[in-house]
Amino acid sequence: MSTAPGQEAKSPLIRLRGVSKAYRRGDIVVPVLENVDLDIEAGAFEAFMGPSGSGKSTLLNLISGLDRPTTGVVEVGGQDLARMSDKELSDWRAGHVGFVFQLYNLLPVLTAAENVELPLLLTPLSRAERREHVAAALEVVGLGHRMGHRPPQLSGGEQQRVAIARAIVTDPDLLIADEPTGDLDRKSAEQVLDLFEVLHHELHKTLVMVTHDPHAAERADLVRHLEKGLLQ
Amino acid sequence: MTFGRLVWKDLLRNPLRLVLTVLAGAVGVMAFIFLRTVVDLFYSSAESAQADRLFTRAKASITADLPLSYLPRISTVPGVDDITFYGFFGGRYGDSQRDFFGSAFVDPPSFMRVFDELVVAPREVAAFQADPCGALIGKELAKRYGWKSGDRVTLQGTIYPGEWTFNVRGIYDVRTGSLDTNSLFFPYRCLNEKLPDERKDRVGAFMVRVEDPSRSAAVSSAVDAMFANSPYPTRTESERAATLGFISMLSAIITAVQVVATVILLIILLVIGNTLAMSVRERTRDLSTLRAMGFKSGRVVMLVLFESLAIGLCSGGLGVLIAPPLVRGFVAVVGSQMGGLPADFMREGTLVLGVLAAVGVSLLAGIIPAWRAVRIPVAEGLRKVA
Repeated sequence: MSTAPGQEAKSPLIRLRGVSKAYRRGDIVVPVLENVDLDIEAGAFEAFMGPSGSGKSTLLNLISGLDRPTTGVVEVGGQDLARMSDKELSDWRAGHVGFVFQLYNLLPVLTAAENVELPLLLTPLSRAERREHVAAALEVVGLGHRMGHRPPQLSGGEQQRVAIARAIVTDPDLLIADEPTGDLDRKSAEQVLDLFEVLHHELHKTLVMVTHDPHAAERADLVRHLEKGLLQ
Repeated sequence: MTFGRLVWKDLLRNPLRLVLTVLAGAVGVMAFIFLRTVVDLFYSSAESAQADRLFTRAKASITADLPLSYLPRISTVPGVDDITFYGFFGGRYGDSQRDFFGSAFVDPPSFMRVFDELVVAPREVAAFQADPCGALIGKELAKRYGWKSGDRVTLQGTIYPGEWTFNVRGIYDVRTGSLDTNSLFFPYRCLNEKLPDERKDRVGAFMVRVEDPSRSAAVSSAVDAMFANSPYPTRTESERAATLGFISMLSAIITAVQVVATVILLIILLVIGNTLAMSVRERTRDLSTLRAMGFKSGRVVMLVLFESLAIGLCSGGLGVLIAPPLVRGFVAVVGSQMGGLPADFMREGTLVLGVLAAVGVSLLAGIIPAWRAVRIPVAEGLRKVA
């Protein structure tokens, strides 16, 4: 492919080619994704929509290295995830991916600060450095004053913001959000989406979000639709 | 936060369940230590047997007696340094089973020489040897009944019928060895003079002290060969072997106790395993979240195993704390019936074994839950709702 003079050749951060995924239920093979080709540029904010069972979450799992394709190539940052061992994938996720889940997935026995600190336990940072990173991440999401609170003491919106702080505390390239507003009221959802825009526009994070919510999808640069495992 | 704090916080997720599990484990450890101590009690006398003493008894049975006339002949066997004899008297004091204690007739001078681990005041030794019906009693026995030198003690004979009265002439202690301090010894002549002719001059066994313990086998063979063709052939063995022979008669009971101790370990395994399995199942999503963040499977396994280890250590520690009072109470009640036992009978090794067993069993209990925690694919685990 040729490039115009003065224009830098830019390879996508995420590149999927001929990706299919099927699950086996006993003797039956259930196809979930079929022959998906996809490029997502670094710094993009893209949303995936589609009905239940369309393969959105499976696609997200493949992009984030939580699952492997049945066939095809999944490259993120130039690395072929399918060729990595489980341990290599763990290390890769720890360094490159932050997760935001629909149900927040915070450990209820830990404080907000401790939850945010969890991914940092896998880094060589000292305790003092970890504490600084945690404080900074919680400040970004506006919860610097709730560090000592445990999840049950926080509202749903606050819990999701703690989860976002946890996702960004290691400064990953890629943020994966699976129905991040699915369990929130409108006001809390807007706060979370505002945060995503800050992360996207000001911190230049690449955001890939799966959602059922059209309002949430509107915040993305690009909305893609999946239907019965096919990317429309 | 540290990995250890994460383990600790996860442990405290359900405090009531943790406390109940630790208590169940502790009770199991306590029972295990108690039963191991009971087994130790049986073997304690064998372990403290003297290496230079042999035990010569009738080959036919441990309950059959031997002629006293064997004594001078055994003395002539090369390697024999000294010899004494004794016989079970089986006297009973009072009507209760609890009032039973060891009683035996001996030859005081040679008995004191061969059993040189006895500690008796010289004045009392002299009094014991001078009185034809004097009695030497152990300090535990004296303490139990409040007996002191000069008291008269009447026993009801079981092997030798009738009432037999002895004068307490001394109280003994032991430095080491197979003797307990809960027995009564009296001179053979006190009994022998009153026996019918057909029962006179017969003893239960001879205790032979050898010059060189490494030649015990040769001395034993020589003694037994000497009486091989007599009406009363002998069987000579080390004191330890002889004691183990006594114990072997109780092997079924000991085996049963050991089986129960093992079953208790199995129960601890199941209790802790069940707790961990529930805990891990409830946390499937949390553990999968950790794995999604980049925690490797090994680290998640360690997380579960450390929790398991912590439960085992707490159970073991608590069990070790509550076991000694139980064992002391048991020894106080049954010690006299088992030939007299020191009240503080409990080995450090048994306590350590109790803790190690708890730790080992708890780690074992954690393996399957830990394996299940990482077996589930991360993406699937993230969808699990507790």
